Amino acid sequence: MSEPNILSDKWGKPAMSEVLEYYHSSIRALVAEKFAASGKTWQEAVNDPALELTREDFQKIEDDFLATGYRFTMSAQVSIVEEPEKYQPIAGVGDSGSQPKDEQGRLIVGTGDNVFQAEDLEGTARFVGTVETVMDMLMNGVPEGTIAIIDDSGGTLTAPILEGFAGVVCMGGTIRSHLGILTREYDIPCLMAAELDGLSDGDRIVVEYSKPATDAYAERDDAARARIVKVS
Amino acid sequence: MPANISYNELQDLNQFLQKSSDVFYFQCTTRTVQESKLFPVNPYIALSYYNCWYRYPEIFRKIEEVMTPEELGDRAREVSMSANAIMLGIIQQFYLGGRQFLIDMGMINPTDGIDDIKYVLDFAQRVNRSYHRQSGYTLNSDMNHRAQLLPERTLQVFEADALGCKPGDKLHNAVVKFLATASQYAFLKNAECRLGIHNSGPYKVGDKEMLIRDFVDLSEGDYPWLDGVASGIEYNNVTLPVIMKDTHFHMVDDWGSFEATPSYDHDNMVAVGLYTSDYLSNGYIPVHMDNASELADYLDHMRDQMQTATSELWKRMAGWTRDQMIDAGLLVYYAVPKDLAHIAGVYDPNDWMMVDERVQRLKPFFNDEYGGAAIAELVGYISLSSQQESPYTMSKYSNASSDMWSKIPYSVLADDNFTSHVPPMGPGSTSLPPKTGKYTTTRGRLTLEEANALARGFTPETLQGANRFYDDQWVKYNAGTPAADALYKATQQNSFQLKDKGSTLTAEDVEKLRRW
Repeated sequence: MSEPNILSDKWGKPAMSEVLEYYHSSIRALVAEKFAASGKTWQEAVNDPALELTREDFQKIEDDFLATGYRFTMSAQVSIVEEPEKYQPIAGVGDSGSQPKDEQGRLIVGTGDNVFQAEDLEGTARFVGTVETVMDMLMNGVPEGTIAIIDDSGGTLTAPILEGFAGVVCMGGTIRSHLGILTREYDIPCLMAAELDGLSDGDRIVVEYSKPATDAYAERDDAARARIVKVS
Repeated sequence: MPANISYNELQDLNQFLQKSSDVFYFQCTTRTVQESKLFPVNPYIALSYYNCWYRYPEIFRKIEEVMTPEELGDRAREVSMSANAIMLGIIQQFYLGGRQFLIDMGMINPTDGIDDIKYVLDFAQRVNRSYHRQSGYTLNSDMNHRAQLLPERTLQVFEADALGCKPGDKLHNAVVKFLATASQYAFLKNAECRLGIHNSGPYKVGDKEMLIRDFVDLSEGDYPWLDGVASGIEYNNVTLPVIMKDTHFHMVDDWGSFEATPSYDHDNMVAVGLYTSDYLSNGYIPVHMDNASELADYLDHMRDQMQTATSELWKRMAGWTRDQMIDAGLLVYYAVPKDLAHIAGVYDPNDWMMVDERVQRLKPFFNDEYGGAAIAELVGYISLSSQQESPYTMSKYSNASSDMWSKIPYSVLADDNFTSHVPPMGPGSTSLPPKTGKYTTTRGRLTLEEANALARGFTPETLQGANRFYDDQWVKYNAGTPAADALYKATQQNSFQLKDKGSTLTAEDVEKLRRW
């Protein structure tokens, strides 16, 4: 064999992600370059420690990519805390200024998929999205009547304080996400995949947890989604 | 010289590889999306796959020097530990994930490492076939998403000794709260992944169904980050057989998660038990099951232990660096088969709790966005360049011209354009503090040396000699014989209701004897 198969891939096509495509195509090119310069067969070259790509090779690819001005989206708080220069700033909840109103003329500031059917709940919206917020609530207690607004469908960020929430509204995931599973186990009313518009920390809200549980297999039905209404 | 593999062997290998590709696609696209603001989940998942690729061949060979995959599967089937349906069924998936990434980056060809691939996939098939021997399948998905793992002798004990409960009573309340806390603690200690939770069954109990709910690796043991914070938890693995009325579990998938019709409702729970077990136990050992009140009190006590551990562990993890979070999640994923090494008595944290240097070098480009894209395209969209196939192709579930895992080209039977192995694994490294605590087992808290020595000298009574091969098909025609009675009595030795009852009990007999 005279060259790595990957360079003559008949059915290959670019990856969907710009970042991934840049990285993988850069690595392919680097492998091909090192291989061609080695004068070895592929069988000799593939496990040759002298030809292995190094940490510096991978670092240079990322450095070159960042030099284009691209900034990554973050998923874990620790990533942006440790390397803020690599990531885009965290976007907050938007406010279109044109929210619809409910039957009583109150602003509907969001909708979501109901994990299980409970009773409607009025409480105070509190954004729980950082380690610092969770630590504060862990040390000082979760304020009574808190409906936690969470942008993370995982079960770990809020693990030590989840039981203290009166309700949960999660801006990500699905009813099958870990947070959905846990709130059901704890019998804490929860909306997943919530879309919010004009909700602020400290707002008094009513959440329609009395809506039937969302069918995980059904197509999205906007009319069936539970509403989040701003009371004050 | 062509590869040292026959046409027939390669066909078997590619068939299992393709099956793995299909079932993992189904799981990844229909079950759940995993994310966390605390842990960089997708970067650690992707990195774990590489660790599996580089290290599984060598450590599996080390285990097999002591015990065959068939015996490992048999041992795992007799108890509940982290060698279970989810962990064992996912071995080849993580390993092939590392291979696919490397193919996609041009660092290996589909014809590289074929002796290792053959070995790892063969090992995975053999251990899973043995573990699933009762049903005759290899994965839960083969049985239309059902996990019937246990023989009658074990299930009879679970049914007979279960304690009745109803909504609002002390035991019912304790079980509901316990399940919630245990689930949450399991997600946290496993760095957001669900590998600490396992469900199997369902099993028919008259007009009801029994689901076996396991929580594993709860106490001080293999994960160094549990040292200290989990020392108050007395049992490393616990099992709750839960008997439900008016509920049909129509799915227990390859990841041990279930769906029921109608939806699972605690109010339908009519009886429950609590057991512990591991690689050093003679089957399942009842835990505080003398009566319902005692069991409820203990569940509340253990729940308190787990709540304390959750708070302390969370504080510890919240102070970790990103690299430490990556390593913890990576090692949880990579170490899914670790209990096989415990069973064989060759567990070594240097094998299972280290990140290979060939993986460490990749970390610079595992930012959150790349990690997320890598996992999404690899197992969800199947959109990596290396996954694309002839435009005529229609894959099993998506109809797309792509498949998750690249099959091994049959050209290896005709030419010498292949390699056999990955280079030997080095010592590895980790950013996490080293293991200092002991290993929590059913024989007490042991040093590593003690645990390995006990494991090497132990064979559960139900697997000694011919017992190992006395399955339910044999019992069907041999119930009441001295050999069958001895086998059943070995399983019944800790039972409240069935001790020494032997092998002839019918379903009606058990119904009369049971406690609920």
